[in-house]
Order: sequence, then structure tokens, then C-alpha cells
Amino acid sequence: MATAELVLGLLSRDPAHGYDVKRGHDAWFPDGRPLAFGQVYTTLGRLERDGLVEVVDKTSGGGPDRTVYALTDKGRKHLADWLSDPVPPAWGSADEVLRKLVAAIRTGGDAAAFLARQRASHLRRIRELRETPTEDDPTSPLVREYIVAHLDADLRWLDSALEHLSEQKETRP
Amino acid sequence: MTVLELSSVEYSYRRNAALRGVSLQVQAGEVVAVTGASGCGKSTLLHCAAGILTPDAGSVQVAGQDLATLPEDERSRLRRTKVGVVLQFGQLVPDLPLIDNVALPLLLDGHERAEAHEAALEWLKQVGVADEADAVPAELSGGQAQRAAVARALVTGPSVVLADEPTGSLDSRAGQELLEVLLRASRYRGAALVVVTHDNLVAASADREIRLRDGVIQHEVAL
Ligand SMILES: Nc1ncnc2c1ncn2[C@@H]1O[C@H](COP(=O)(O)OP(=O)(O)OP(=O)(O)O)[C@@H](O)[C@H]1O
Ligand SMILES: [Mg+2]
Repeated sequence: MATAELVLGLLSRDPAHGYDVKRGHDAWFPDGRPLAFGQVYTTLGRLERDGLVEVVDKTSGGGPDRTVYALTDKGRKHLADWLSDPVPPAWGSADEVLRKLVAAIRTGGDAAAFLARQRASHLRRIRELRETPTEDDPTSPLVREYIVAHLDADLRWLDSALEHLSEQKETRP
Repeated sequence: MTVLELSSVEYSYRRNAALRGVSLQVQAGEVVAVTGASGCGKSTLLHCAAGILTPDAGSVQVAGQDLATLPEDERSRLRRTKVGVVLQFGQLVPDLPLIDNVALPLLLDGHERAEAHEAALEWLKQVGVADEADAVPAELSGGQAQRAAVARALVTGPSVVLADEPTGSLDSRAGQELLEVLLRASRYRGAALVVVTHDNLVAASADREIRLRDGVIQHEVAL
């Protein structure tokens, strides 16, 4: 997961609180999964330990929310390196579907029904995304297209999984 | 209100059983996607619904009338006026300007020429190709030709539009645009739409998905 690098990116312009980092992340990926606060704080802690960010302000007596973080030179270099590296083909949202499908098959559940429901839920999500206008900024439409293209790819995989199951049922009744 | 109903429809090409008992109902204004692997019987289903093929068994009702029990002339009239058909490509008459292509179903139905042209132009506007009204099909892009095909399918005011891979010959952007046009036009007219598609992005626009496998309905889900 590239959450750490995203956090560095979110701090690259100005020092910020963990809360601002979370808000910034969710605004960058309006259709994605929101970043959990817990994850923000553990990520910031790890980045601080590794010397990629530093605490520049801490209101006395405050909780974690009062801590302001900034990028260190090392952090800036790390971010630049990450941005110049191409992304290797990675697993996306299909992970969870695969886990459930395998579990359904292994535990003798109704895998075909699960696939049909999953297919419907993917199709609904695509429609939902297409019906809501994107934010009027330079990257939101790209984020949207990315998500739709990946859902479409998941659907093709779901189709072949369904076909595979049906064939198995025919050959081994 | 049910505008299309298939009951236990069976159809075989010689010994090849393409449909093995398919039943479905389509309500007024509904959008239904028919999906499934190549060769599962989608086109055969659509052709039976359109009255292009006559089922070996079972029945097809359009707007409450059983196609098999109607005399031939009434059956063609019902097909011409109540059912609009959009295919993947090649359904426009090559030598006719678009306006005449779109007016054709009305002329066949006995409408006055001026009236038919007026309605045709209105539909060409509706689908965004009014500027091409005098062009012949060969002078159009694939997307423009498909828009004209949508206009021709809707000009008679059908209660159901049957589309077989209407975006199949277009790239993804033109396909999306054509889909928007098809959905908007059907909605505007209040017609139900049954769209056969391989494209998940097209299926995602439907109210319901009917999935065929090997000539039978494998599953049916509301979207
Ligand atoms: N004219 C024909 N003569 C003989 N067999 C045919 C004919 N048309 C279709 N078939 C067969 O009937 C079955 C169903 O064909 P159909 O064209 O309805 O499938 P489809 O789902 O529309 O496929 P595709 O997605 O490739 O268009 C297939 O096995 C096909 O080979
Ligand atoms: Mg076909």
C-alpha cells in the first residue's frame, strides 16, 4: 500500500495536522475508500520514526490532533523517487471478491449466487459513478475513469469465474 | 404494464437448439440488459421477440398481442409500429439519404410524405444528426449511422426497442455516447429497451440483467 507515500505527498506543500492529511486524501480520491484516522496516525508515526517527516508544532496538552507534521529533506527525496517509479501491476479491489469466492467454494456455499450478486453490485457501482458528476478539478475525472475501468476488468473476471463454475458443474455433477 | 412477454420460447436452427425454454416479461419503460457468452442465444432471443424468427414452441406477446395468432398483415403492422429494432450495423438502406431512411417505416405505414419527413427530422434532431439529414449512410461515421438507426427505430413510436449489440462496432467513447442517445430517446418516447450486450458498461445502465447460458436463463438480477 502506498499510503505512506500519499501522506508524504499530502504534506509536500505545507505542514499539516493528521486531520488535514485525512481530509486531503479523501479529496484526492473522492470515489475511493476514505483513509481511516487510525491509519493516518500510525503512518505518520512510522514516517517520523524513519525520519521522513518531523513534528514542527505541538500545542501543549493536546492530543494527537494538535501535532503538526512537515516533510524532511529525506522525505522529499523519498517522495520524488516514488513519483518517478512506474507502478507494478498490483491487486486492486478484486482481492476481497477473490477471498470470498474461494471461501464460498471451499466451504460449499453457493458460489454462483455470490458471483451473480457481486456482478450486480459492480454494475450498480458503475452506474452510480457515471450518474454523479465529477468534481470540477483536473484529476477527479481521471480517478473516476480509473475506478470504472477496474470495475469493468473485475466484471470480466467475474464472468469467467461464473463460466468456469458452470462448466465444472456440467462435467462433475 | 407488460409490453413484451416471452413464454417458454424454444428455437432450433436445424438440430442446434439455440433457445431451450426462455420466459421473460418486460414492463413499459423498463431497460433490460441481456448478457451471456458468445453463442448462448442472445440474438436468437431478440429475433424471436422482434418477430423476425418464429419460435418452435412457446409464445411471444407484443403490447398484449400474441404474434403467432395474428394474421400476417396485422403481424407485420404490429412489428413495424410497436417494435423498434437497432442492430450492430448495416440496417440503413445504402442509397437513401438519412431523412428518407428514418421516414421509411412511417411511409410503409401509410403516412403522408411531408408528415413522415417532419417526424424523421425531429428524431434526427433528437439523436444529434439533423445536420446529416441529406447524407447517405456511406458518408457517415459509425456513430452517426447508429444514431440514425436509433431515430429509425423510434420514429413510429414503438412500445419496445430491441437492440442487438448497438455499440458493438463503435469505440468506447462513441459507444458510450450512442448508449446515452439510445437511453434518452427510449425514455423520451416512454419505450422499454431490451439491449443485448457484451459490454458491462452498457449492462450497467439497465434496470435488470438477464443472463443467458446455453439457451436458458442462468440468472436474472435487478440492478
Ligand atoms: N443461422 C444459423 N444457423 C445455424 N445455427 C445458428 C444460426 N444462428 C445462430 N446459430 C447458433 O445458435 C446458437 C445461438 O446463436 P446466437 O446468434 O443467438 O448467439 P449470441 O448469444 O447472439 O452470440 P454472439 O454473442 O456471438 O452474438 C449458437 O450456437 C449459434 O451457433
Ligand atoms: Mg448475437
